[in-house]
Amino acid sequence: MKISWLPAVAGAAVIGTVIRAAYFTPLEAKQGAAQKIFYIHVPAAWVAFLAFFLVAVASGIYLWLRDQRLDRFAESSAEVGVVFTTVVLVTGPLWAKPIWGTYWAWWDVRLVSTLFLWFIYVSYIVLRGAVESPTLRARYSAILGILGAFLIPFIHLSVYLFATMHPMPILGKPSAPSLPNEMLVTLLLSLASFTLLYFTFVQSRYDYAVERDAIAARSGHDA
Amino acid sequence: MPDTAVYYHLAYTIALGIYAAYALSLHLRRKQLRVKS
Repeated sequence: MKISWLPAVAGAAVIGTVIRAAYFTPLEAKQGAAQKIFYIHVPAAWVAFLAFFLVAVASGIYLWLRDQRLDRFAESSAEVGVVFTTVVLVTGPLWAKPIWGTYWAWWDVRLVSTLFLWFIYVSYIVLRGAVESPTLRARYSAILGILGAFLIPFIHLSVYLFATMHPMPILGKPSAPSLPNEMLVTLLLSLASFTLLYFTFVQSRYDYAVERDAIAARSGHDA
Repeated sequence: MPDTAVYYHLAYTIALGIYAAYALSLHLRRKQLRVKS
């Protein structure tokens, strides 16, 4: 049985990260165990942003070069991005309930704009399923993929621009990270391992799209 | 220190469950394609 190195390494890295977060990272004094949600929530948000940013880049280049491989990559990255955003939207409220006293706040710009980002890329997937012509499908979804990514800097900066309950960035800020070393190492490991998981998922989803298109080409109609 | 372990366990279980379910869905979709071809 052939085991590709990327899924094996990503799987081991994620398991290692979860074990380190659970057993080898100290509890935060004020929040207790709920603070450890941070090690799964922050990487999911980082990967979601990376995924949608790469959708926009691939889509932009697709509109220029019309290379089908770029469309397949954008399609794959968008789907994987939706998976990671779903994790963000589930783990965030589970941290918020014990810390803020509520799962969700509809007035909070960071929360609602993240939900909006999720809806945009879910609609990207729906759009791809709704357009039959491969050329039109690729063009329409490339435009939506690019427009959706404009939300990313807005979401990142929303904690500075609006009154929000969401904590300020720990890493993505001008000054040095405000985290004890043991926690910082766990966070950096989790960012690396979930990024590897992203590439594993995208590779597998891309391979699926290649096989699907090959079958469609053989049978003489669109996938 | 507040006892917030239940939220921590729930968050990790659901998040890892979502990743595992997606990995399984990719595997099954590719398997289904091979059956089709």
